[in-house]
Amino acid sequence: MEVVDSQLHVEEGTVKPCLKCKWQIADPTNPDQGQCTVNRTAMGSIWKRWIRDVHNMTCSKHEEGKLSFREHV
Amino acid sequence: MATMAPAVEYKGKVIDFPFENPEEEKIPDDELHEHLAKPSTERTKRLKARCRWKHASAGEFVEHGVRAGIERMRLVTEAHKASRGKPEVTRRALILERCLNKGTICLQTDEKIIGYHAEDPNYFPLYPELSYMNVKDYLMSDYSPQPEAEAEAINDYWKPYSLQAKCEQYFDPIDLTRMYQVSTMEAPTFAHGYNSIIPPYETVLEDGLLKRIKMAEEHIKEAKAELAKEPWDGSKQLSWIPKIDNWQAMVIADKAVIAWARRYARLCKIVAENFESDPDRKKELMEMAEISNRVPAEPCKGLKDAFQAKWYTFLVCHGIERYASGFAHKEDKVLYPYYKASVIDKTFQPMTHADVVEYVEMERLKISEHGAGKSRGYREIFPGSNDLFILTLGGTNRDGSDGCNDMTDAILEGARNIRTTEPSIVFRYSKKNRPQTLRKVFNCVRDGLGYPSIKNDDVGIEQMKYYSKFSMNNNGATDEEAHDWCNVLCMSPGLCGRRKSQKTRSEGGSAIFPAKILEITLNNGYDWAYSDMQLGPETGNAEDFKTYDDLLEAFRKQYSYVMSLVVRAKDVGRHIETQYLQIPFVSSIDDGCMELGEEATHLSEQPNGWHNPITTIVAANSLVAMKKLIYDEKKYTMKQLMDALKANWEGHEEMRKDFKNAPKWGNDDDYADTIIQSFYEDILGGEMAKVTNYSGGPVLPVGQAVALYMEVGSRTGPTPDGRYGGEAADDGGISPYFGTDTKGPTAVLKSVSKVQKNQKANLLNQRLAVPMMRSVHGFDIWHAYMDTWHDLNVDHVQFNCVSTDEMRAAQREPEKHRDLIVRIAGFSARFVDIPTYGQNTIIARNEQNFGPQDFEFMNLELGQ
Repeated sequence: MEVVDSQLHVEEGTVKPCLKCKWQIADPTNPDQGQCTVNRTAMGSIWKRWIRDVHNMTCSKHEEGKLSFREHV
Repeated sequence: MATMAPAVEYKGKVIDFPFENPEEEKIPDDELHEHLAKPSTERTKRLKARCRWKHASAGEFVEHGVRAGIERMRLVTEAHKASRGKPEVTRRALILERCLNKGTICLQTDEKIIGYHAEDPNYFPLYPELSYMNVKDYLMSDYSPQPEAEAEAINDYWKPYSLQAKCEQYFDPIDLTRMYQVSTMEAPTFAHGYNSIIPPYETVLEDGLLKRIKMAEEHIKEAKAELAKEPWDGSKQLSWIPKIDNWQAMVIADKAVIAWARRYARLCKIVAENFESDPDRKKELMEMAEISNRVPAEPCKGLKDAFQAKWYTFLVCHGIERYASGFAHKEDKVLYPYYKASVIDKTFQPMTHADVVEYVEMERLKISEHGAGKSRGYREIFPGSNDLFILTLGGTNRDGSDGCNDMTDAILEGARNIRTTEPSIVFRYSKKNRPQTLRKVFNCVRDGLGYPSIKNDDVGIEQMKYYSKFSMNNNGATDEEAHDWCNVLCMSPGLCGRRKSQKTRSEGGSAIFPAKILEITLNNGYDWAYSDMQLGPETGNAEDFKTYDDLLEAFRKQYSYVMSLVVRAKDVGRHIETQYLQIPFVSSIDDGCMELGEEATHLSEQPNGWHNPITTIVAANSLVAMKKLIYDEKKYTMKQLMDALKANWEGHEEMRKDFKNAPKWGNDDDYADTIIQSFYEDILGGEMAKVTNYSGGPVLPVGQAVALYMEVGSRTGPTPDGRYGGEAADDGGISPYFGTDTKGPTAVLKSVSKVQKNQKANLLNQRLAVPMMRSVHGFDIWHAYMDTWHDLNVDHVQFNCVSTDEMRAAQREPEKHRDLIVRIAGFSARFVDIPTYGQNTIIARNEQNFGPQDFEFMNLELGQ
């Protein structure tokens, strides 16, 4: 399957894992999984996407850092 | 200047709404809440100023310095290793004993109620025996216990013994993945460790633990005699062995609790005699030492005894023996005998009513400081608060008389004065409640605390009687005992008292998400919007549903699959709890466990099964819109709708308007309400009631939302009610969707009252306009509304009473609005401690103003 860089995809051993991305927040149950919050509307909605493996997934929107709790759900 | 409610013409008269307190005219709308806190003493003012809040939001702790402690993890591991070979229940008692004997104890300045459950009041304990994933999440967070390597080793040690690992083996890995991601269903208790309990405080306060020990020892003596009887009958006599183990574990646990309280007594005495220079504080400390030396070992004799014994019991039941959320008890009933002794009769620890109010404020601050090692999921879903600490007041006594007393009033006064988000309060509303107490309930409501949350007393009593019929040992609630109920957590009633109360959340709790289930129903069980995986059975695509009934039946199948899975997960958890997570201290203070030699997680006398549908109204409004626009009027095809949803309505704006403008819940609209009533009663309640849980009773819906309406909303794509992908879902269990209830507060009540069958509880959030509530007519309007609500047999209602101006001001300058409290759903939160996403959902709620049509329906007479 073709990999679209702007979408979440598996990249074993990536140096830009979702775990370190500011748009990622941990999965509610399994800390090896996560939630991507990069999809945000002007009205303030956040449409999350599930991340199966926060250590080995990435995308071109990766930005290292951490958002404040105020900017999450 | 504050805004005054506009005059209303009613029954030929012009009704004005001047402020009840004219001074309030000078307070700007956008800072009202900052003027309402009035701690009753300098002590409680200081205690509030230095309170170690543990509010969490989006999984993060709001205050700096809050973190997980390692001490409990270390002690339970040492005890677990040292107790190899002993019966499991004995090991659990020895684990508790070690925590209490070796755990750090601390005494803080100014406090009169002492006790904490971690090595530092900024810390909270973790529970590696519950969920290894939860501990791992902490290890990967900024709040990791230190030293981290030791904590990691402890988690590795516990992994095979943990509740999570022991339960996981009984489930298909695909089902586990579906459960853990929390989109169609909440993850099971075994994966996050969240729990709830109603401790039988009454036995501790009335009997004292020395008496409980004596009772257990007598049972052991009798059991051993039975075991030795001749001629031997193995089919009967062997049953005494587990009972003996249980009673022996109870003795170990109770002795440990007494010794632990006496450690606190010694600490107070040492500080008083060696370090304290203030003679008044020295005297207080000596009195505290005397109290902790005596209780909970002996029965309480006065109100100071009762507050302290209750606090020790709370800590053990909720934080040390095992984690459990909640503060479930009927506090006014539990404490009133001691109020009477100390305030009215002055026979022991004499004090005034004002002194009692100060104690209430101090207890509220202890709760505010209490740390819970909750999972990330649970740190997300109570944003702006600590944990779900909820007590119950009011209602009726066993003989049907008014349950309100002077202790009820003191608790309400203290709550209003100190103004903390927790503990929340449930008030059982009865037509028999005395006016003076109702006025105090109203004062809290209009001050915007969001509590008391109001429950219908009669509905709760009938519910206890109903569940009693399913008691497996024919010892459920009697008609008299059915009056002894409190909310287990936010919404669901359960018996309280000396026995028959709920001891574990595997009985009732956890959630299911109809909006997300509808979304996958339209996509053959597939979740395209969040997880990109199959989440349920293949029940066909939306275009395959030729009739509305086809659609509904597909939903029913998806819903039923989830319901059976989640209750199976709870019951498997319960089964494992009975074998490895016994709670001998709780067993020792339950009269049923004591009499029968049973373990508290095992014994179920009164079933109380429930599960929480959350996001119901998004699903229900979506069904209404689809029925009207696709199946009835045929204005659109299902394919057109699915194309629009996949595009998040982009390029389909006119179509979205039609779906958005379709009839909505909460307007007394017959078309919408008929469909939605059937959805609640036949599908959500009807399918759930087919499930039987561990205790032999049905599982019934408790519609409520906590902040899962935000979380699941953000995991749900666009929906046919006109909602965009990622927008929050509905905020209650039966509340109208934000801003869609446009026909006034009594139209909401009329809609809600139509749902009666197959329900356990349903949360109704209403936002009241501040100026009218603070006017001279505020109480009369609210009182008439409550009587109308009661007469319509509605189960619940709770209120926000806060202006949009003030919330907007707090968004701009959060540091100036630390006392602004809002009701989320089932709990209250400090507004500035919740994410902007959540704040906007409170602002979006329709602010209800009462008009002439409402006054008329409520049969209200308004004088000038």
